[in-house]
Amino acid sequence: MTGSGIDMADPDVVVVGAGGDAPALAWRLGQQGIDVLMLEAGPFHGNEQFPNPHDDRGNAASAATGDLSGDLLDQQFTAREGDMGSPVDGKLRWGPADAERAPWARTVPQTGVISQVAGVGGTTLHYYGNHPRAFVPAIDDQPHWPIDYADLVPYYQHLESVHPVKPAPTTPKAELFFEGARRSGYDLTTGLNVDDEGYRPFPNAIHQPDEALARDGDYDGDFRDIDGDTLACHEHQGGPHPRGAEFEDRAKRGSLVSLVPKALDTGHVEIRPNAFATQVLTRAGPGPLEACGVAYRDTWTGRTRRIFADCVVLAAGCIETPRLWLNSGLPDDGWVGRGLTTHHFDFVSGVFDSETLEDIIGQRKVEPHQGQAAGSRLDVPGKGGIAVNTFAPGITASVMFSESVNGFAFENDTSGEPWDTEGRITGTKLKEQMSDYRRMLTLICHTDDRPRQDNGVSLDANTEDEHGPVARLDWSPHPEDDERRLDLARRSAKLLDEAGATHIHRAAAAPIFLHLQSSMAIGKVLDAGGEALSVDRLFVADHSALANGVGGANPTHTGQALALRTAEHLAERYFDGVADPIPADQTPASADD
Amino acid sequence: MSYTRGTIAALVDAVVPATPEAGDDVGAAGALDIDLDETVETAFNELQEAPEGPIRSLGYETMPFAPLLALLLDFGALELILAREREEPLQSPGERFAGGPFSRLAPEDRMRAIRLLEADGLFPALDERYDAPIGIVAYLMQGALFITTMAAYSDWGDDAEEPQGWQQANYPGPADGYAVHMGYEVDEFEENDYGTASTDGGDEA
Ligand SMILES: Cc1cc2nc3c(=O)[nH]c(=O)nc-3n(C[C@H](O)[C@H](O)[C@H](O)COP(=O)(O)OP(=O)(O)OC[C@H]3O[C@@H](n4cnc5c(N)ncnc54)[C@H](O)[C@@H]3O)c2cc1C
Repeated sequence: MTGSGIDMADPDVVVVGAGGDAPALAWRLGQQGIDVLMLEAGPFHGNEQFPNPHDDRGNAASAATGDLSGDLLDQQFTAREGDMGSPVDGKLRWGPADAERAPWARTVPQTGVISQVAGVGGTTLHYYGNHPRAFVPAIDDQPHWPIDYADLVPYYQHLESVHPVKPAPTTPKAELFFEGARRSGYDLTTGLNVDDEGYRPFPNAIHQPDEALARDGDYDGDFRDIDGDTLACHEHQGGPHPRGAEFEDRAKRGSLVSLVPKALDTGHVEIRPNAFATQVLTRAGPGPLEACGVAYRDTWTGRTRRIFADCVVLAAGCIETPRLWLNSGLPDDGWVGRGLTTHHFDFVSGVFDSETLEDIIGQRKVEPHQGQAAGSRLDVPGKGGIAVNTFAPGITASVMFSESVNGFAFENDTSGEPWDTEGRITGTKLKEQMSDYRRMLTLICHTDDRPRQDNGVSLDANTEDEHGPVARLDWSPHPEDDERRLDLARRSAKLLDEAGATHIHRAAAAPIFLHLQSSMAIGKVLDAGGEALSVDRLFVADHSALANGVGGANPTHTGQALALRTAEHLAERYFDGVADPIPADQTPASADD
Repeated sequence: MSYTRGTIAALVDAVVPATPEAGDDVGAAGALDIDLDETVETAFNELQEAPEGPIRSLGYETMPFAPLLALLLDFGALELILAREREEPLQSPGERFAGGPFSRLAPEDRMRAIRLLEADGLFPALDERYDAPIGIVAYLMQGALFITTMAAYSDWGDDAEEPQGWQQANYPGPADGYAVHMGYEVDEFEENDYGTASTDGGDEA
């Protein structure tokens, strides 16, 4: 096969989506000599086959690492907030590659904002590289998982060595957070397997920064002559740094730069962007039903095609995987699309005065725009997690101050609460808050919300686009989820207060659908190997396969671990098995292999 | 100035007003100084592609959400006025505002009108009553504030080299890097014991 425009003639496996998790599966299958064709609805950035992905279609597919270009990535990923991240017309959005067109429709009949990205690498184009493992009790003590935590560990270890995943460096804003955590009485956590409260640097899939970037050193270079993270804080904007480096050496290990090259490198994987799957093709099998291919539509030409294969893998994410399933008329026993978890986020921020900052971190501002976007966290198994989450001003203003389920700050009485203001802030007050941006530390709360059948994705039969009826999303928290979130918000406020914040604000956020899990759960829709219970030869390998929200830890590490494991089950069941099983290695993973 | 643009102007002006009296730190210019009314109108009209069916056959390629937003804002304003939940006197509309009730509310009352639309008013009450996705009104209101705020503080609303919102936040814009490395709180994580997996792990499904 070559990198030119024709589909792999006869793939063994066709995968829908080349987002966060699918490349892990494709890589693992490719390693077994299984030919994989990946259909991705969005663009392929940084690829010579698609030199202007938002203006021209380019060629049809890419199958060689030689197509990947750091120079193109540098041109395309400007690191400007709106240019990259506007959900309407940014380069990273849920919509077709063609910049002239609008985003694809979804029906969301409630307060909320969805943040997902179409394109090779999927939503990890936006993500912050946070790769904690699931909380142990979320797998072993909650009733949702048909497998044990121990079953995931070898896959976690494997990913930790290949991305790699390492403790994030301390930066001034991280040290401020750590000090608040220490003063609140939390201990430092040093283990990968978390079942107890504690604070720690984030295990991040971001290359560690060059030692030359010491704060108190005298680095005055241009940041193009160093290896690893440049601490530029552009994860949200696609994170292309260090500029000028080879494609595969970019610091943030999103799937595009970390797993896609590995998958292509097997010589058995081809990726076709601009290909929106509209139908899973089935035939009668030995069991009731068996998948045999996929129909898709080219998003530039409108041409539709069918691809046949021995197995089909759905990895279109928590919203589109169930939509495709339902639009294909596949069986639904009541759990397809349901049980969605979303970590019921909250945001709490603190503003500090310069003297306090001088005392704790030896500088007069927090400087939220410097250092990794999210490099430090507090785990609270059973409730969720709290993390430093920092952004450029546009996202800061919108997540901290523009979205809330508790109305507007000017109406809310906060006496007796550990925050000074709660709810949306507008007008002069918003401008005042934002003028303190550089003395502000923003925290996110990830709630351990539990799967419930009422929450999830269905079809909106009245709204149809060129790919069929669109997905409708309904999600609301259970009172117990609200309680856990409130607990996390209070802990966040205490931590900021202990660190000396002079003004604390709680967003009481409205749903932001950005961590999405468990809408096609193993144990419900899928068996423990990731294969559909009601359709043979059909697998799911994205976050929808997770059985719950992994306790509130960031989900991608577990999503990718499960995708690797599912690849092995697929190879065992329908091909010649796995030649090189991933070993259960109980020693710490190393970056060098 | 169209009705739609002028009603959206009253929205963006309430979220990020010009504040000539505020100190230098805060910045005097507001959303209208960077024509954010136009940005938000465009964003709403390009929020999503028009579905197959009647809207498309009317010639729309995308959903005409901006006029709908303006109508809804006036609806919310009217409800606020009729329900006597307005807290400040009506005012004559700003120069760039339209003439509808939303444009005549004081800034905080405009926000109260939005709250009625998404949480406490007639639309949410209808949403309880009917099996139709009326909650889409709440979604659009959230979107209006999210887009206004994000655009006001980024290059989305002002594609100058140094957008107004970045200046007001004192954000220097994208950089190639920062020398802010302070070592490691943990050098390596350990593969610690996670105990024996309990057996009640999941046969429930
Ligand atoms: C700002 C931000 C920060 C985040 N930070 C983190 C973090 O630090 N750590 C973490 O763990 N998580 C993080 N997340 C969440 C994380 O990015 C997602 O959970 C993860 O990418 C989901 O992986 P997925 O494979 O399930 O779906 P996706 O990554 O969304 O991939 C699905 C892919 O399928 C494609 N697709 C959809 N429908 C079709 C179709 N019909 N045909 C063909 N292709 C289709 C999509 O275009 C997409 O590329 C973050 C998210 C955001 C928005």
